[in-house]
Amino acid sequence: MGVKLLLEKAHVEGIRSYEVYRREGGYRSVEKAIKTMSPEEIVEEVKKSGLRGRGGAGFPAGMKWSFIAKPEGVPRHLVCNADESEPGTFKDRYLMENIPHLLIEGLIVSSFALGSHDTYIYIRGEYAWIVEILEQAIGEAKANGFLGKNILGSGFDCEIHVQRGAGAYICGEETALIESLEGKRGNPRIKPPFPAIQGVWMRPTVVNNVETLSAIVPIINMGGDEYAKIGIGKSTGTKLISACGNINKPGVYEIDMTISVEDFIYSDEYCGGIANGKRLKACIPGGSSVPILPANLLLKTAKGETRYMNYESLSDGGFATGTMMGSGGFIVLDEDQCVVKNTYTFARFYRHESCGQCSPCREGTGWMEKLLYRLEKGQGKSSDIDLLWDIQRKIEGNTICPLGDAASWPVAAAIRHFRDEFEWHVTHAAEAQTRNYGLAHYADPIHVPVG
Amino acid sequence: MTKFSETQLAEFNRLVARYPEGKQKSALLPVLHLAQDSFGGWLSSETMDYVAELLNITPIEVYEVATFYSMYNLKPVGKYMFEVCQTGPCMLRGSDDIVAYIGEKLGIKPGETTADGMFTLKTVECLGACGYAPMMQLGKNYREHLTKEKVDSIIDECRKNAASNN
Repeated sequence: MGVKLLLEKAHVEGIRSYEVYRREGGYRSVEKAIKTMSPEEIVEEVKKSGLRGRGGAGFPAGMKWSFIAKPEGVPRHLVCNADESEPGTFKDRYLMENIPHLLIEGLIVSSFALGSHDTYIYIRGEYAWIVEILEQAIGEAKANGFLGKNILGSGFDCEIHVQRGAGAYICGEETALIESLEGKRGNPRIKPPFPAIQGVWMRPTVVNNVETLSAIVPIINMGGDEYAKIGIGKSTGTKLISACGNINKPGVYEIDMTISVEDFIYSDEYCGGIANGKRLKACIPGGSSVPILPANLLLKTAKGETRYMNYESLSDGGFATGTMMGSGGFIVLDEDQCVVKNTYTFARFYRHESCGQCSPCREGTGWMEKLLYRLEKGQGKSSDIDLLWDIQRKIEGNTICPLGDAASWPVAAAIRHFRDEFEWHVTHAAEAQTRNYGLAHYADPIHVPVG
Repeated sequence: MTKFSETQLAEFNRLVARYPEGKQKSALLPVLHLAQDSFGGWLSSETMDYVAELLNITPIEVYEVATFYSMYNLKPVGKYMFEVCQTGPCMLRGSDDIVAYIGEKLGIKPGETTADGMFTLKTVECLGACGYAPMMQLGKNYREHLTKEKVDSIIDECRKNAASNN
């Protein structure tokens, strides 16, 4: 049983309410931070903790905070990114639904550290019922003196507002989110200037993910150094993994990043093995945009070493033989699944979500979707596979925001590792409509499930 | 005449008050949700013009936002809209079968509304419920772990609700 920092109390009866949350030790970090620490000391603790952004990019949170500009007389804002939309990812929702006060507590401490008097939670529009849960928690925190004017007699004022988006993956990109918060289309901005200099309403702004801001609570409570002792290397603390696909126990799990991928998939504490007694074929371990890996490369690196659930180990081998931690959206495919079809649904997703500003992404995502559709339906040509490869290469790195990369990577990795399956859809077009390609050579033939 | 009621106006004012002075346009997304909920589940050009007037912005600023985000309906939809997720993780757990079953049962294709105006079937992209797949959004809530039996009971539930509201 690994250490739990975020979900430790998530299943205490009534934890959604202020009373129970407080009784369980909630809001201690606000008292400690506001009464005994300066904003600079808080930023320093977050730096020491080694906390990396939990939204997907993994950028060190303390460093991001230290970039915020502090021009005289200009308000600053903290914005919480709750626009969770990366396919495979549903961890922020889990936190907000089950233990909403943890996020509110993290937001208060972070707002104090950054000097944000009006803090916004931008939440994806479809999570409509969670808006009510958050607003209830905010109301309770305010009624108990943790929000509003003169928090705990410190002279610090802070309000938290919840804004609903309206259905757009791109608004998870921080500058698109800022545009959307200003009531505009979610078109990402050209950087620089970075949000830390000119963000929402051209004011200095920090945008952080829900899980990142929730992790501020244990960091302040235990101290940055203690937090950094959990985990391994630059993967400090705990990470929420939302596991889905063909596994026995889909759900959200908190891991301390020292567990192996194999244990995560097969142990009963986590995914509980592959569903219906099937075998593992492939996995996309960090949300739809990270490279898919066949079973053999997922469980062991190309060097034959055990692969672990952390930033460094998952990316071991680069994109040639590795993948990424990403958002922690862990998608498992069993032996009956079709990689071409799965890749097609991702291509369709990215075409649907492209904002349309940059030609490579606007045109390229639609083109990739059409080619994958054709291949999947058994109407493709072998040259379509090369064309797909060519298109994804011409999107990657040529767009204002990372959506272009996110759309390219899954296509590239699928061709890289499963080219034979793509070819089979061309050479055995009719057969491909009635059965799936199966495990072929990339399965893990020796794996014996635990228990 | 498209006009918010007193209560809706109070909610409108609460939404606008969250932003700095002069930045009332920031309330556009939430106000469009409010307008859509208030005026029959979709945004007519009359509704969008009304929102523009209330927020003191130009109509085009409203149109460009309303057409960008997938949750705003630009034409009338059924009383109950089944928005079934079809992205990878849901596909792996059988969302194609759910879409086909609903379509068969209601006699409509994705994007269509039943002749009685009761149901709309829509396929959508990832809604963040991958671990509880297959799933759909119905109104403000998610219906998860869908099976054919569950779909049957959801359709019955909607019909019953509609009958008791009339």
